Amino acid sequence: MKIVTIYDQIQSGMGTKDDKMLPLGGKNVPIGPGIMMTPFLKQIDAKIVACLYCGTGTYLNNKEMVSKKLCDMVQKLHPDVVICGPAFDYKDYAQMCAEITESINDSTDIPAIASMSAENEEIINKYKDRIYIVKCPKKGEAGLNSALQNLCQAAKALAVHDKNIANIKEYCF
Amino acid sequence: MRKGFMDKLESRLMPIAEYVSKNKYLISIRDGFLISMPLLVVGSIFMLISNFPVQPWIDLLKNTTLAGTSIASYFSNVTNATFSIMAIFVVIGIGYNYAKQENTNMIFGAAIAVLSWFMLMPFTTMYTPEGASKAVQVTSIPLDWVGSKGIFIGILCAFLSVKIYKWVEDKGWTIKMPNGVPPTVGQSFAALFPIGAVVVVFFFIRVLFTLTPWGNAFDFIYKILQMPLQKVGDSLGAMMGIYLFAHILWFFGIHGTNITDSVFRPILYALSAENLAALQAGKPLPHIINTQFQDLFATYGGAGSTLSLLIAMFFFCRSKRIKELGRIAIIPGIFGINEPIIFGLPIVLNPTIAIPFIIVPMINILVSYITMAIGMVPVCNGVIMPWTTPPIISGFLSSGWQGALLQVFLIALGVVIYYPFIKTIDKQYIRDEAEVENNPKDDDISLDDLTF
Repeated sequence: MKIVTIYDQIQSGMGTKDDKMLPLGGKNVPIGPGIMMTPFLKQIDAKIVACLYCGTGTYLNNKEMVSKKLCDMVQKLHPDVVICGPAFDYKDYAQMCAEITESINDSTDIPAIASMSAENEEIINKYKDRIYIVKCPKKGEAGLNSALQNLCQAAKALAVHDKNIANIKEYCF
Repeated sequence: MRKGFMDKLESRLMPIAEYVSKNKYLISIRDGFLISMPLLVVGSIFMLISNFPVQPWIDLLKNTTLAGTSIASYFSNVTNATFSIMAIFVVIGIGYNYAKQENTNMIFGAAIAVLSWFMLMPFTTMYTPEGASKAVQVTSIPLDWVGSKGIFIGILCAFLSVKIYKWVEDKGWTIKMPNGVPPTVGQSFAALFPIGAVVVVFFFIRVLFTLTPWGNAFDFIYKILQMPLQKVGDSLGAMMGIYLFAHILWFFGIHGTNITDSVFRPILYALSAENLAALQAGKPLPHIINTQFQDLFATYGGAGSTLSLLIAMFFFCRSKRIKELGRIAIIPGIFGINEPIIFGLPIVLNPTIAIPFIIVPMINILVSYITMAIGMVPVCNGVIMPWTTPPIISGFLSSGWQGALLQVFLIALGVVIYYPFIKTIDKQYIRDEAEVENNPKDDDISLDDLTF
């Protein structure tokens, strides 16, 4: 199973909170949380084929173009599923995850899934009925390991078009 | 690291971390202390100027007077208004934050915390006038108790008073004003009975303590609780144990120092303040372990002393990915910000880097403690610096040139320890990159040439 992930500047290791204007880019090897997920990726027999990244400022300033480019690249790479996140309690990144997940679901034939913490209440309420948002802890809080495992399980269920949606719902908001 | 062992460790530690991170009292202590932080840093700057380790400068400040008062004593006014009364800020901070946790009025929470604490405080100081042989009792707010010595009883007063306030409020024993009365007026009437209840309870506590051999609650708590806790905290074993715990938590993605700080900070602050008082009085500094020891000598560049890791990445790694990450993260790393590598390398849940990440801070603590204990490096002077102060500067300001040199040595030692581990990852990446080079696909994916 092939997975593409989408990260912001912090999760990709390309910058700090302030390096918001990091341009759109990607690596065809796992980086950041992609490496943290290694044991759980093995469990679902999956491989990260690309990690795309973008500064949150770059995205928020030019949503349409960035989103289009990401969707296009996802289409080109043609993975089985796209994972946006985990966004923890980073608000801008959580917004980016939710919106891009929705765009990918709407404009490509590839399923996408987002992950963020409960602190992003507004974004969660707006999007939880339209996309799958897997629960994760806020930055520095307990429970990251199991959240990453859930994220992988949910991604797999989506990729193989699991009829039993309840499997995914259990991990989501 | 074997997966089974890590799983076992996680299942043991997670419940403790979760309990601590969600405990209302501990959160209130942690956040309450944060309020006093900027005040102490500013106070420290003035303290540092007047005690800058150059004798002619100190003499100049002492001997130059303005309207009959030496410049040095103008500077010490700032120290008096911050350090000497630090417990007041802490009590306000904890009362406020605990009230927030309990969902009650925060500003009244802060006010009753201070009120109840002052109710238990003996308002007298013993003073010997010049030429007199006998000390006399003077009515005053004793600086001794509003400084570091009053912190622990302050924490207890804040919790108990807010608890009583909230309890009375929940019982509904409050004055309710009719609609149309401005909310602030309504709030102050609503607070009347709960505050009254707090005063009554603390009135009796005070009376009860006067009947004991200690005479007052402050002496009792100081001798029974604060002194023993400080003794435990002021030991190499405690410091190393706490850092071991914090860094194992970090490995699992949990902000380890945030958790240990809620328990350990009050002790460290008290120890620092005692050092500072000794410095002002020109006496030898009593405690090696204190806030600065933790902030300036245990870790460099954030948890795990990742500044050493970054230097190793920057100078000795050859893979494109690690070099690039090293270049981006080294400047924030100098100022103690290591988010890019915590999640980007990543360090979290990355077993290869876990060993040096946990070991390096422990070795830093051990070496610093030993060098200070044998007198090679002066003990930290108690001056509080922002945690973002870069090493070498921070070491110099806190422990003189020897402190700066020790930091250089420890950072270099950290590089040596991190080196083989990061090189293992680096070699793996070089192999990956070589593989990619033989393939037509590049390591970097460019999204620039996408056109619509």
